[in-house]
Amino acid sequence: MNFGKTQQGETLSLGMRNLYIVPSRFGLLWLAGIGLLQVVAIQLESNGPLLLSFLMLGLFLLTLHLTHFNLEGLEVRCGTPAAGFAGDTLAYPLRLRCRGRCEGLRLRLGSGEPDQARSLAPGEHLLTLPWMPPERGRLRPGKLRLLTTAPLGLFVCWSRWDPPVPQLVIPAPRRGPVGRAPAHADPQKGAGTSSLGDKEGDLWHDLQPHRPEDGAGRLAWKLLAQGRGAYAKRFVAPLAEAPLLTPAAGIPLERALEHLSAAILRLHGEGVRYGLVLGAATIPPSRGPGHRDRCLEALALAPRSL
Amino acid sequence: MKKRPPSSVTGVRQRSAPAEPDANSSEARRLQWLAEALLIVGLLGLQPSLMLSWVAISLTVLAGLKLLEAKRLADRRLVGLLQLVCAGVLGALQSDLGPSLLQGVAVFLALAGLLALEAGQGPDWRLLLRRSLQVLVGALPVALALFVLMPRLAPFAPLSDLGRGGARMGLSENLAPGNIARLSANREPAARVSFAAGQPLDADDRYWRVLVHDRFDGGSWLTSPTLPPTGAGAARAPAETGSPLAQQLWVAEASGLEAVPWDGSALPLGRELRINGRGELLHGGRSSQRRLYGLRSRQGKGDGWRRIPPQANDQMLPSGTNPQLEALGGSWRAAGPPAARLAMAETWFRSRPFRYTRSPGTLPAIAPLDAFLFARQEGFCGHYASAFSALMRAAGVPARVVSGYQGGTWVQPLGGPGYLDLRQDNAHAWSEVWIEAEGWRRVDPTSWIAPARGGGLRAAPAGGAVGWLQRQWWALDLAWGRWWLGFDREGQEALLQRLLGDRRNLVGLLVLTAVTVGLGVSVTVLGWLRKRPEGDPPGLELERALAALARQGLVPEAGETLRGFSARLERSEPKLGSLLQAMAEPYQLWRYGAGVRPPQEARRLSASLRRHRLGLERALRRRLQRRPTA
Repeated sequence: MNFGKTQQGETLSLGMRNLYIVPSRFGLLWLAGIGLLQVVAIQLESNGPLLLSFLMLGLFLLTLHLTHFNLEGLEVRCGTPAAGFAGDTLAYPLRLRCRGRCEGLRLRLGSGEPDQARSLAPGEHLLTLPWMPPERGRLRPGKLRLLTTAPLGLFVCWSRWDPPVPQLVIPAPRRGPVGRAPAHADPQKGAGTSSLGDKEGDLWHDLQPHRPEDGAGRLAWKLLAQGRGAYAKRFVAPLAEAPLLTPAAGIPLERALEHLSAAILRLHGEGVRYGLVLGAATIPPSRGPGHRDRCLEALALAPRSL
Repeated sequence: MKKRPPSSVTGVRQRSAPAEPDANSSEARRLQWLAEALLIVGLLGLQPSLMLSWVAISLTVLAGLKLLEAKRLADRRLVGLLQLVCAGVLGALQSDLGPSLLQGVAVFLALAGLLALEAGQGPDWRLLLRRSLQVLVGALPVALALFVLMPRLAPFAPLSDLGRGGARMGLSENLAPGNIARLSANREPAARVSFAAGQPLDADDRYWRVLVHDRFDGGSWLTSPTLPPTGAGAARAPAETGSPLAQQLWVAEASGLEAVPWDGSALPLGRELRINGRGELLHGGRSSQRRLYGLRSRQGKGDGWRRIPPQANDQMLPSGTNPQLEALGGSWRAAGPPAARLAMAETWFRSRPFRYTRSPGTLPAIAPLDAFLFARQEGFCGHYASAFSALMRAAGVPARVVSGYQGGTWVQPLGGPGYLDLRQDNAHAWSEVWIEAEGWRRVDPTSWIAPARGGGLRAAPAGGAVGWLQRQWWALDLAWGRWWLGFDREGQEALLQRLLGDRRNLVGLLVLTAVTVGLGVSVTVLGWLRKRPEGDPPGLELERALAALARQGLVPEAGETLRGFSARLERSEPKLGSLLQAMAEPYQLWRYGAGVRPPQEARRLSASLRRHRLGLERALRRRLQRRPTA
């Protein structure tokens, strides 16, 4: 069921005014089953099918209310969505507050796949819903559909809401050439490190927790064998200046931004200092997660033409 | 916006969910298979000769195949519905206590399966079954209100079309000596009867007639297909039906015959019952099913058939089929009135060396009764009754053979009234002769030969623990039959009559009110149940205490622990702080302490926390009262 007025606002509070409920196709089939049992019961003057048909009718009438109960009183707010890459399936957080037990809740964001049915106990819940952003930017995931058919699937009860909090979508990282802005002397060190190298002879820098993308080659096997956890070795080569990244010339801007995204992640992984120049905006060289996120956000929000 | 590392950086990638993940819910699958298994067990007792049996079999097979291949949620729902309809059809075919219990459990499991399909992966087994029970019990008030009060329609088509063909009881419309020998070894139940006064009947009344064989072809006795015209005595039951005053309550097993056992003199209760001119009690219900009916003993009301004069059939004797028999009977014609000829026959039988046996062997096809009377002289009730009736006809006295049951086993269950249990080996045949002055008189020639044969009322045989249990089960089964099958259209009419009297036009309003009230109560209770907080009882007590504090603005600061909060509270509000401390300390020890937590400890802690919480709430009320004056 995907019709009805889409609710707006910071918080969605479900009640009689914004919930829709209709019998499902199975509900109509159920009524046909009741009719069949009634015919058998009347024709054979038998109590068994008669009681069963009335029981099924009672269930039909009861589940009209129970299905409505599942969503009634539910409050939905947006959580704080983490940034993600275009082309990835992103997790959009939602905070749900259930007044009573909420059964068989299925959530769907935008035109994505319907979520698995879940039953929520009374209280606060934090859920994340998958969605696939089509491009970069600060994007809203689209309409949220809350739907339930529990307890017996005889009725469909649903509501639609437009979650107001957007999620930051960074250009998908893609290996490729990036431009360098004119050399920029490191004001702190005078010489930075760059150009990650895995090869022997490069300067060993430090250890960092191992990530799957580091591969087995950089795993600190000794430490792992000693049971001190999985760490990856980092090597750096001395470089005189911190690179100041800029979109490569001669390729479309969106593609260039994707290359920059990959380069920023790589440089951050190497632990080197780097800066970013996007048109008039410049982020001076630095390092660390905060700096990386600032640069990625600048990529995500960069104007369509520089 | 507070930024976090992008999902790919932290190595976390969301995967989209499969299209219909719920259809693979293992709980739902197991529950549906369990329901399917019970339905298959239920199929074992069906009679293949009935069309409806095949409907039930097809539905079960269909549900099983669908369950095997179903991947989508819609298919699995369909399986649940098919199972429910199948249980309903089985209920129409088998209404005994055992099968009814089986169908009830299958319905519950099918519903639980549907519930599990919708609930997703969240709930565990206990929660699922509890919820199924809640929903089922919630729907019962409406179902029962409709079942009891909704006026029932009459069948669309005659019942006999569906009911024919399921012969199970041993009696047959064609009685040839030899038929009942096979029955005698058969211990299958035939009928049960309980009496209002709880007493067994006199020995003379222990003949339970079923069929009257009035047509004799020289070898076997048949029942005329065309009934004799019903005279004054052929009673149709009066309208006082379904009355609780029934003095004999019968449960007759499926027999394939329209005629059911009765004592030949009681007054039938119920529109479906009819006594024909031969003295057969005909039941309009399906003969392929167990039938339940009531009779009221009222002398002279139900035995009008005894005075209906004999028809041509009752005197017919094909000449030349048994010449010796005809000659002997003919020699008695001059002996005087019919009663005197009857006495001569009794004397003749008693003076010959007749012997009662259950295995007399087969009689020749030509002149079989001559062979029995004058050569072999051994046989069972069928032989004696048919030979005696033929002799009487030869002597010019209208006579016929009656088959039914004699005697029975008196069963006294642990609770409730006793009952008489009739088995197929109680089957018996006797004769009826027409005596002008008194009408049809019952004569049992077998009793001249073997007075002890089944005449006495047997007490329940010992049979050990199994036999005892079986008899208790029969008693329960009889009570179930009386209660369940007894509430039919007539029973409902009687109830509505009692409830509404002459204001029958209010029945619609009554049904609507009952359904609305039933639904309202269920919805209210289930709505309250769903809002009940969930969690461990001590934790809920603590949460209630914190909620009471929060109502007066006393809330923990961000990041503050429970212990920190109670310590801070103690500084500003010593009484409240110490009470909260007294709750927090033991709760945290119980909740986070090592070792197994026995349930009784949780109950003890819960009770203690409850005491403290009530104290805290009292202190908060006092605080609220003090505040305006402070």
